[in-house]
Amino acid sequence: MGSTLTLVAFWILFVLVVASALAVVLLRNIVHSALYLVLSFVGVAGIYILLEAEFLAAVQILVYVGAVSVLLIFGVMLTRRGNIRQSNLFNAFSLAAGVVSLALCVLIILALARTPASLPLGSWPVDTVGALAEAFLGPFVVPFEVAAILLLVGIVGAILIAREVKEDK
Amino acid sequence: MIRYAWLVPLFPALAFPVIAFITRRLRTLSALVGIGAIAASFVLSLGILWETLTSGVTMEKPVEYALSWLALPGAKDWVLKIEAGVLVDPLSAVMLLVVTLVALLVEIYSVGYMHGDPGFSVFFGYLSLFSASMLGLVLANNFFMMFFFWELVGLCSYLLIGFYFHKPEAARASLKAFVVNRVADFGFMLGFFYLFLMFKTFNFRELAEALPHAPHMGLLAVAATLIFAGPIGKSAQFPLHVWLPDAMEGPTPVSALIHAATMVAAGVYLLARAFVLFASIPEVSLLVAYVGGFTALFAATIALTQRDIKRILAYSTMSQLGYMIMAMGVGSMTAGMFHLTTHAIFKALLFLGAGSVIHALHEQDIFRMGGLAKDMKVTTATFVLGALALAGIPPLAGFWSKDEILLAAYSNGYTGLYILGTVVAFLTSFYMFRLIFVAFFGRRRAGLHGHESPKCMTVPLIILATLTVVAGFIGAPFVPHGFSSWVYFGEPHHLEPNYFVMVTSTLVAILGIYLAWLIYGKEVISAEALAQRWRSIHTVLYNKYYIDEAYLWFFRRVVLGLAEAFHWHDRHVVDGIFDGVGDTVRWSGYRLRYLHSGSLPVYALVFFAAVVVFVLWVATPVIGGIR
Amino acid sequence: MPVWELLSVELLTAFLGLGLLVLGLLVPKGQKRGLGYLAALGLVGIAALAFALREAQGVVWEGYIIDPFGTYFKLLFLFAAILTCVSSFEYIGRLGNGEGEYYALIILSTLGMMILASAGELITLYLGLELMTISFCILATYRRGDMKSAEAGIKYIILGALSSAILLYGLSLLYGSTGSTLIKDISLVVNSGGVTPLMVVGMIFLLGGFAFKMAAVPFHMWAPDVYEGAPTPVTAFLSVASKAAAFAAFLRVFFVALGDSHPLWAEVIVALTILSVVVGNLVAIPQKNIKRLLAYSSISQAGYLLLGIVAFSTLGVGAILYHSMLYVFANMGAFMVATVFYNADKSDEIQDYAGLARRSPLLAAVMLFSLLSLAGIPPLAGFVSKFYLFMAVIDQGYIWLAILAVLMSMVSVYYYLQVVKVMYLGDPPPGRPAIEVPLGVQIALACSLAVLFLFGIYPTPLTNYAFSSAAAFFH
Repeated sequence: MGSTLTLVAFWILFVLVVASALAVVLLRNIVHSALYLVLSFVGVAGIYILLEAEFLAAVQILVYVGAVSVLLIFGVMLTRRGNIRQSNLFNAFSLAAGVVSLALCVLIILALARTPASLPLGSWPVDTVGALAEAFLGPFVVPFEVAAILLLVGIVGAILIAREVKEDK
Repeated sequence: MIRYAWLVPLFPALAFPVIAFITRRLRTLSALVGIGAIAASFVLSLGILWETLTSGVTMEKPVEYALSWLALPGAKDWVLKIEAGVLVDPLSAVMLLVVTLVALLVEIYSVGYMHGDPGFSVFFGYLSLFSASMLGLVLANNFFMMFFFWELVGLCSYLLIGFYFHKPEAARASLKAFVVNRVADFGFMLGFFYLFLMFKTFNFRELAEALPHAPHMGLLAVAATLIFAGPIGKSAQFPLHVWLPDAMEGPTPVSALIHAATMVAAGVYLLARAFVLFASIPEVSLLVAYVGGFTALFAATIALTQRDIKRILAYSTMSQLGYMIMAMGVGSMTAGMFHLTTHAIFKALLFLGAGSVIHALHEQDIFRMGGLAKDMKVTTATFVLGALALAGIPPLAGFWSKDEILLAAYSNGYTGLYILGTVVAFLTSFYMFRLIFVAFFGRRRAGLHGHESPKCMTVPLIILATLTVVAGFIGAPFVPHGFSSWVYFGEPHHLEPNYFVMVTSTLVAILGIYLAWLIYGKEVISAEALAQRWRSIHTVLYNKYYIDEAYLWFFRRVVLGLAEAFHWHDRHVVDGIFDGVGDTVRWSGYRLRYLHSGSLPVYALVFFAAVVVFVLWVATPVIGGIR
Repeated sequence: MPVWELLSVELLTAFLGLGLLVLGLLVPKGQKRGLGYLAALGLVGIAALAFALREAQGVVWEGYIIDPFGTYFKLLFLFAAILTCVSSFEYIGRLGNGEGEYYALIILSTLGMMILASAGELITLYLGLELMTISFCILATYRRGDMKSAEAGIKYIILGALSSAILLYGLSLLYGSTGSTLIKDISLVVNSGGVTPLMVVGMIFLLGGFAFKMAAVPFHMWAPDVYEGAPTPVTAFLSVASKAAAFAAFLRVFFVALGDSHPLWAEVIVALTILSVVVGNLVAIPQKNIKRLLAYSSISQAGYLLLGIVAFSTLGVGAILYHSMLYVFANMGAFMVATVFYNADKSDEIQDYAGLARRSPLLAAVMLFSLLSLAGIPPLAGFVSKFYLFMAVIDQGYIWLAILAVLMSMVSVYYYLQVVKVMYLGDPPPGRPAIEVPLGVQIALACSLAVLFLFGIYPTPLTNYAFSSAAAFFH
């Protein structure tokens, strides 16, 4: 029963994510694209919930929907001038890009279809937050620390580049 | 001391850049650096020889140490392994001492001889580079390293022959030496690479151990013959001898050091180093012996008629080198190396003496000299001593060593070569004393007056003259534990003194001197009349058997003709192809550049397209295509 | 060996980078030069430590591998970083601001490379890669007010993100089909024959991501533009260290984790090699800008390094180690000359190098010998290293590939000598003064030159080190 419900939910989310992702690319107004991106992020968060990764879902909502998207829209509003309706146009390579994307998509789907699903369905941790915490401070402490430095570098870089703009004015 | 043998070539090797880059402007300092470096090497070489002889280092138990220079590990074994190593045995120890001694004396002498020359510092730089290369050659423990230094001494020789490059003859002579030696070196290189292919090593000792298990004696003979091409070129043996007389265009100290005492002896040294190779193939040994013997006779006959003092000495050098090579061929490495040692001393003496004369007169034709004995007492005395040694008058150095070669030929059953050697001994004493009676004792023909050279030139002459008297005794047959018990192949064999050989060669030498005195000293027999009577022979000899002319003809007609043909072919066929290739390459470069338009979407598109292509390529067989 | 000792090189590098970040804010203006000296000296100290620990071996929390192979690459990155810092003193000093951040970013990107070289786990590997990439993105835009620099930064960010996306997708596919992010576990799955189509797709994605960082054709398009626009010391660092880091990570993933599926990806590598060697060398010919010329030369060098991967043998890995180390010194030498020249003349155009030999014999000589080493002319070290690479492929039967590479090397001599011709035979523009070379740069140039000659004439110490590291890594 639960599995049927899950399946239905999955397909709804699937359509939501894919359709909104396509909208991001195809729409001509970049603000609309950004809003559909938010929708796509929400859909992904839903899929996390279906996979019983509630913590990840929460993070996805907080970081991507809450922070990244808002930042993105701010960025668009601060930099865009002129006609906002024609702000996300295709360039001359749309046909070639379409072909390449389609080919890549078909190849991945084919490979997926021909691959036997052999992933061991082991027991999932009930307490994902605890497991994550233990992984971060246990076997994954090196990447965890590297990620901290990486974020620091990102912040420093943002400040440097922003300061540059200020001085140029 | 032996542990530090690698320092011996290093001192002069360091002196070269120091002179070239730092002290070039300061002439005195340049000379001091050069002389100081070679003096240090000389002292070290003395120590090495002493330790070699006292600490039980023998030909069978040498000291060898090496760094791996280039190593390429293959799947199982080494694909390629080249060492940079040092091999010290009595052979190399003796050779080190000879080279450093002569180089030291020549450099001191050059201070006087090259005084006032604009290229004074450069000259000392080149001499240092040469000494370093020559010492490296002597110490090398493998063919590859030896070849490296072999080429380097060739380069130095080229630079020094052409030292007076503004003189067209000098430029031409240096080019000739370079080309002739390239031909020979190519053979040498082919030969030792052949050996490498057979035995997978360049190392002398490993080769010696592997030789008895050679897969194919015929191939080995080919390799040995090719290697022998090296000595034929470097030691100026027939038919590649033509460069040596012309090399006399270089400054006289260079002729003494490079073209008499050391570099030209490198060929003989190579034969000694690789003696086991030649000894194991009788046919090649025989070839070596006859090439040497023939050159000895051939060069001695040419020397009879030459007029240029340095050229007479050059032909004499060729002839003596022929002796040494003949000794190697008849199976006596000891005799060959012994003669190399003594010859280095007295031939350096003769060349430096000739240099002293040229320095005083600025004249090289002996028939424009005369009566020099009155003006240049030290030069004359030492020169005569050197000539006596060369002629083989006992008890001077040349007597003992030449005698040993003749004895080796005689007792090893090469009677023909023994007789030939004795004839050469007669010719040698004749042409040397022709030179002496004409230049030093005859009447003043052109009214040229000499003057004695400065101390820094005469002192080396005196030292060399002293050694000429003494040096022979290290190998004289009655001396126990002498030269033959250090440097030998197989086991030390001590030839019993053969009084028949000794007396014959001495008599023959005295006869030569007497005849020279009759013709040129007392002039009871007219030289002109003789030349008239044997006119055709005289002309042939004077023109050096027309070998140069023959080569020139060959070169002009055949080589240039071929070259013309090839040139045409090159210009019209190969150039066409290469121009085409070059243009295509350049054109495609310009075309391909347009891919890089600077447009970001294009870059991204290419990136993904490449990914798609690669996935298609690799994954299609795995996925099994679109079914 | 305790963990802190195994990780000491990385820890000290991180401390140095973060410390410089803080110091950069504390040091008053006008005394910021000291930061550069501190960075260079600190890196020298860390390099000494890394050299002392070159034999160290151990695994930290399963996913981080310390071995001679990784430490060899760490030394390489440190040498490149030291030379970069030394050549930056003048260049960055003139930009006026952000010196502390500049050196900190150089050092933190070095840290990222170290993590790439040692990562035995895919997430660690990816984070190391990103740390390196993000640092470079910021460094590339450092020439403030210069449109080309901004363009370089944007291009590197966007294309870098694309390549990261592909790489990350590949990593996730690999994880999805093997159930582990640990390289040793993945190799166990591949060993037991479990290569699924999805894994193959992941493999190619990974390959594309790495090839992007190596600047191998056809994933090279970013390189010339970014190289041209970025500050010259950054370009130098980017061209040698980031390429070597990509090779280090590639070797670990493809030779260890995916070693048993070698037949699947071998042909793609051959294709990449041919394309890189041919396109890199051909397109270099018409270049007029020294940095673009060196960019294409670096693309072709990626092709030569790929030969070692084609060989798939200990000899091949050793040859990669050896060549990449000498490539650091040859390329850094050439770029250092370009930096000094830019400081003096504000130009990167080759035609402006006319008569450099008379204006500064040292600069011209270093450029000459660096280019000759890149071309592989004896007795410079580049000859020996290329010789090893060619022997490695010949050893595996790819004689035709070696012949092609040698032919293309000959083409490369042509464009390298074009630069030499301008420097030595051209007349300096009238009124141009002799170029002053700062002492620090003089020392760095002399060191590079000494390395090129030393390991060209006597390569054995370094080959022994490289080949023993390679033998411990892959047999």
